[in-house]
Amino acid sequence: MSQFGRVKQWNTFARCWHLFDATWQNPLQCSPLIEKYLKGLHKPIYHPFVDCGDHVVIMNSKQIAFPGEEWRRRVYFHHTGYSGGASWTPAWELHEKDPTMIFRKAVYHYMKGNLFRRVVMERLHIYPDSNVPEEIMENITNQIQPLRPIPKTLDSYSNEEIEKYPKIIDYPQDYLLSK
Amino acid sequence: MLSLRTTNCVLKVLKTARNEQSFHRWLAPTLRELKRRKDSQGPEKPVHRKSFLEWNYDSEIYAFSKRLGEDFNNDLLLKAFTERSYIIDEEEKQKSVGIEQPTLNLIDNKELVAKGSEFIDDIVKRYLRTVLPRLPEEGIIELHKYLTSVETLSHVSYHIGTPELILCADFPVEKLTMANVLKSIIAALIESSGENRAAIFVRDFILTQIADKDLLQFWDLQHPIKLLSDILARDNIQSPEPRLVGCSGKNTILACFRVGLYTPHNKQIIGLGVGETVDIAHEMAAIDGLRQLFGTPENILFPYNLELEQLCASTDKNLSVNEWSQKNLPVQPTNFELHQVKMTSSC
Amino acid sequence: MVFTTAMMLVRSRGPDEFWRKRKIFKIAAHFSGRRRNCYSIAIKAVHRALQFATIGRALRKSDMIVLWNTRIRAGCEEHGIELNTFKEGLSRCDIQLNKKVLADLAIWEPSTFKALSDLSKSVSIDYELPGSEKYNVPTNVVTRGLLKK
Repeated sequence: MSQFGRVKQWNTFARCWHLFDATWQNPLQCSPLIEKYLKGLHKPIYHPFVDCGDHVVIMNSKQIAFPGEEWRRRVYFHHTGYSGGASWTPAWELHEKDPTMIFRKAVYHYMKGNLFRRVVMERLHIYPDSNVPEEIMENITNQIQPLRPIPKTLDSYSNEEIEKYPKIIDYPQDYLLSK
Repeated sequence: MLSLRTTNCVLKVLKTARNEQSFHRWLAPTLRELKRRKDSQGPEKPVHRKSFLEWNYDSEIYAFSKRLGEDFNNDLLLKAFTERSYIIDEEEKQKSVGIEQPTLNLIDNKELVAKGSEFIDDIVKRYLRTVLPRLPEEGIIELHKYLTSVETLSHVSYHIGTPELILCADFPVEKLTMANVLKSIIAALIESSGENRAAIFVRDFILTQIADKDLLQFWDLQHPIKLLSDILARDNIQSPEPRLVGCSGKNTILACFRVGLYTPHNKQIIGLGVGETVDIAHEMAAIDGLRQLFGTPENILFPYNLELEQLCASTDKNLSVNEWSQKNLPVQPTNFELHQVKMTSSC
Repeated sequence: MVFTTAMMLVRSRGPDEFWRKRKIFKIAAHFSGRRRNCYSIAIKAVHRALQFATIGRALRKSDMIVLWNTRIRAGCEEHGIELNTFKEGLSRCDIQLNKKVLADLAIWEPSTFKALSDLSKSVSIDYELPGSEKYNVPTNVVTRGLLKK
């Protein structure tokens, strides 16, 4: 192979690093998106036996969101292997113990079980907050667009913005606002 | 003791039984035994085709020329296939039988080899200079070296079916012999059907060996970055400015950098290279820039329809690397470019 | 264990045990363990293998279609167009390239594929196909709709 052909091959199979901000994202809905980048489904050279996937760095996994009663109703099962070793952990409890676990499990269970699954999972890096190590941050070249917009919370509005907001009524003088 | 009657009965039964049996029980063990004996002899030695009974050298020679679609003079072709070693071998054989003055009506191909070699060198260089007018002379020489190497010529020779026809002492035929025979075949073709046919033969069989290959891989460029800036300096362009166009996985062992070379005065990209380190990518970008200057892009298509009169003269030479610049390039269109213009206008 | 001549293969139909078994052992030559050397085990394994092969011939076709679709979708995504719109646009231009060719173009001829995606985009804008509102009008394609405007 010529020198030029060698670097062309290197360029084709180079691994990119993608950043994903998990704030207010539903991990169950995000997992197909993450899987696409991890397996390299977004590249025309994709083949199930070719190791052409990219790295994905997920930050703020502590801030993930579940709809409705999901935090209480979703239960993660574990069995130690001994008799009576079964345990069921609700999602909120698991999230308290390890804030990266729910996202990791969501992506892992979305992927089809085969010998490549654990290899592909090695390329997923999850961090509970925005403190991603500098060394990893330097590798990143792309950001994956979040699936749903991040809503603005009430306390993130400044006083000026609140005052400017058009009022429909004035509260009566003797009306008590809860403090 | 069996009576005669019983014996007859038994024989009859045996006979009918043998007739009814439509398959041979003995066949498999026999074949197995034959295989065992054959295996114990060791692997078979390759034998020359001429040791076969129905081998007819004259008709093979005739078929060879027809297969190539050429009209060879059969005597010349026979001469082209005769190596010096074969004649010596035959003479010794005759002497060992007892013939004092062996007479063989064979002439070896030494002259033809020299003539063919010269012709191939000439045509290859002229063709390359015609189709690659911007490539420096050093590059042309390296390409020529590849095309006329023993490896390439013997590869061509082998695949047009010469090894069985060559009359030489060594068997299996050596690569050098095959390459020499190809040269002498071409010389025989010059004498049989003229230089034009021979030039077409060289074009079709030898020059096609560089089709679909990266041309700069044959020319090992030393210090491409310096070379590029030297060449640009001759056109009064400042040395190009390398910029990191992209990188991924910077801190990993699978890092990939992409470097672009930009001209400082009009900010145009002149080369793009990738590599596992910035230095390699920079070097590749310089090679890419040179590749574009020299008119040898990656997807180059050679015109394999040129004939002898369309090639440039043997005395013409391309510019050397040391004096190569856009200004010094020949302004007048070469024969090949004229030919292209003619083609497009007729279409 | 190879049949050197066609005659040997014909022989293996007969009642001679050796030739009959030879045919099965030939198919089982690459199996592991006793499945390749013991006839009664080999014959079962060969039957199973041939069944799998029959199923596999059908599966291979569908697998390839899935793979081509994945590759074309990836190519489309690079140029910001959906797979369905891409296909619809091509068929409206009467470009009859099949999935295999499109997938090969996406890998080996990226600029050809980009030209196709641009063409498909401008056609989908012309016909106002669903989802075509968000495309930027490609500048390198002239369509009949553009001329009318």
